[in-house]
Amino acid sequence: MSHLSVETLVALRDPGTEPGEAAAREHLEACPLCRAEFERLHQRVARLKALPALRPSRERWPSVLNQLRAERQRRRFRTGGLAGLAAAASVALALGVSSLRPKDTGLDLAEIQQAMARSQVLESALDRIDPESRVMDGQTAGIAQELEDRIARVDRELEMTELMEQQARDAELLRLWRERVGLLDALVDVHVTHASNVGL
Amino acid sequence: MSRTIAMDSYLLADADSVVARARQGDETALEALYRAFEVPVYNLARRICRTTEDAEDVLQETFFEVCRSIRSYREEGSLWGWIRTIAASKALMRLRRNKYRETDELHEEVVGRRKDDTHLRMDLEAALERLPEVSRAVVWLHDVEGYTHDEIAGMMGRTPSFSKSQLARAHARLRRWLGEEAIV
Repeated sequence: MSHLSVETLVALRDPGTEPGEAAAREHLEACPLCRAEFERLHQRVARLKALPALRPSRERWPSVLNQLRAERQRRRFRTGGLAGLAAAASVALALGVSSLRPKDTGLDLAEIQQAMARSQVLESALDRIDPESRVMDGQTAGIAQELEDRIARVDRELEMTELMEQQARDAELLRLWRERVGLLDALVDVHVTHASNVGL
Repeated sequence: MSRTIAMDSYLLADADSVVARARQGDETALEALYRAFEVPVYNLARRICRTTEDAEDVLQETFFEVCRSIRSYREEGSLWGWIRTIAASKALMRLRRNKYRETDELHEEVVGRRKDDTHLRMDLEAALERLPEVSRAVVWLHDVEGYTHDEIAGMMGRTPSFSKSQLARAHARLRRWLGEEAIV
């Protein structure tokens, strides 16, 4: 038998994984050259483990903390905004949505109510997924972040509709609630897909 | 596993209490986690990434993820094992994003072929640095951090055979560059 290849020697450190391992071990026992090479391999790995630890040259904790605080603020804003919107939606629904009632716009009141209800269903689904407690890869986190930012923008616009004329407001409300539903739908999709990809 | 659990108590004496406070969002506890694991995370990132800037970015991304996900840490394994896996994933993601060099052939194009490779004598640090990124990542994750080929394959989105062959190639190169005698 010729001498053992580097590949075989490297594999012999993980016992029981390679075909022909028994023959290779037999050769290793009998061959001083291969034993010496195997010993060098072990020494090389020991030296790798003993390399001095490298340290960052810059302090990164303040950046981590800023990033964390910014995210918390976004979340608080979003939750606060949602609570306000949900309350407004409940009152409006209880009053027969008088303040939202389309007058001459031809809009179907039921459409706004449907969009609001759908939005609440998706919010509940999102709460059940609890995305904050899951580790996401950078790309997924980026997409989720983008969607959350867009939802936050829609929420701000929804609040601003209070200042609009009745007729324009009704049309805008319907547009924004629909947009919100679309974004929430996408966000739930992102989290559900991520959870299924990582086997959760 | 036992090595990483030992690392927990070595790096952070009161890990349980710190984690409990960190889960409540206590920023002092989160910073204590950062201080305890900053160097091993950076070291791992730096051994995998091409530049110090990339490694520092990975350090930041890792701890941002640790802070926002600490509630999902289930204490089934070691804290260091959990943080280390986040760090390794972030570092490998960065390699992918930067279109890493994964083959020796491409590496040769980049650094140029050197006929006198067999006579080179580098120190281990320089030889490790000279390896293609993917090979270096596999060497570090397998030989130093103790990940299996299956685990490395999972993190890299490749097969265990890919990981094994990268490791063998890396050792062949290291042996040559370190001036160790080769078997005929």
